Amino acid sequence: MNKTIQQLLTQKLLAMADDELILAHRNSEWIGHGPILEEDIALANIAQDELGHANVWYELRQTLTEEEPDELVFFREAADFRNVQLVELPRGDWAFTMLRQYLFDAYELLLLDMLQHSDYQPLAKASAKICNEEIYHLRHTSSWIKRLGLGTEESNQRTQAALNELWAYAHQLFVPLPGESILVDENIVPDMGVLYREWEERVRPYLTAANLTTPHNQTPPTTSRSDHTPHLTQLLSEMQKVARLNRDAVW
Amino acid sequence: MTDTQWPRYEVFKQDNPRKLHEAVGSVHAPDAELALQNARDVFVRRPSAVSLWVVPASTILMMTQEELEANPEWWLDDEESGDGVRPYHIFSKTSQRRTMTYVQHAGQVEAATAKAALHKAMQSDQFDKDSVWVWWVVPEDQIIRSEDDNIDSLFAPAKDKTYRQQTHYGFVSPRRQKRGRQEK
Repeated sequence: MNKTIQQLLTQKLLAMADDELILAHRNSEWIGHGPILEEDIALANIAQDELGHANVWYELRQTLTEEEPDELVFFREAADFRNVQLVELPRGDWAFTMLRQYLFDAYELLLLDMLQHSDYQPLAKASAKICNEEIYHLRHTSSWIKRLGLGTEESNQRTQAALNELWAYAHQLFVPLPGESILVDENIVPDMGVLYREWEERVRPYLTAANLTTPHNQTPPTTSRSDHTPHLTQLLSEMQKVARLNRDAVW
Repeated sequence: MTDTQWPRYEVFKQDNPRKLHEAVGSVHAPDAELALQNARDVFVRRPSAVSLWVVPASTILMMTQEELEANPEWWLDDEESGDGVRPYHIFSKTSQRRTMTYVQHAGQVEAATAKAALHKAMQSDQFDKDSVWVWWVVPEDQIIRSEDDNIDSLFAPAKDKTYRQQTHYGFVSPRRQKRGRQEK
């Protein structure tokens, strides 16, 4: 593997891992606060799966860079994270969390599906393994979107409000990283344009069938994964706090 | 105070194709689809499974041996009425020792009502009735089953998880002190 490709791949894996990590943390904030016990457990399970996915990508990246996952997770500053802004937004109400999760799950499932055909074998194998969990996540969140959208006036309004805010943010998921076209040419990662079209073809009709209207504005607040909101700083201060109390502690 | 929880569904799990379905507990859900998903999240996170059934709790006839003995004519007092026969699944609890599961699948009978089905089951040789502590009767048409083609995405992830069921660990039993002092 030549140096350029290696560097681009480590950049891509970091972005994928950071997305999962930050989203997992936001979902875990619902523990103890879910609308009903079974949902509390379900979302905690989903968060735990995502943490597992993040770990898969960090460890795969470690085979290329030697950088330790724990170092990346607990000792980086916000400016060095490469997640999209979508996942760092505060959890909001249940409709907000479910809608964000739905948009992300639909994206991730398609991404994993396509990555299984990657010419970079470790990536293809890892994606095949994770895919089963993602099928289940999407099933869960799409069940919720249907019920929230078609439920009561209140549930529909809250979900619509969530969609109005999140639709544009979700589009940042499909912005290619700098130099990513080289990885696409090598058939290591799929083309984001293709991924976007498939995603849009699935989620738009589904949302419409759930009596939800997709907003006109599709321009994400940022197109750079280096660009973060204050929400990420707040999230990291909580997530990294214990590890940073004693840098040399062995866990 | 009004109950704000959703309807309750009893959950039955089949650990592997060679074992019978067993009752493992219940979940609340607004409908059958979410009941199945919730059941998977609550009961199949780590243990193995190949099949899940969920049944609205209100449709299950549950009778203990004491209740049956207290009223020998119990089967004549039937709130249900039925024309024609339908399949009912019989579940029974024959041991007081198991703590993680409750009743286990014992077989099927055809009858017009749940009580008729239980009466029929108790008269047949098939159900070892003298060893039964608790009977559950479940109408076949109330069972919602996980699909075979979903097995992988529903149940496979549990196999990779590193946590273990409590039964995996041994335990240290209390030792009786010498000279008849109190057991710890």
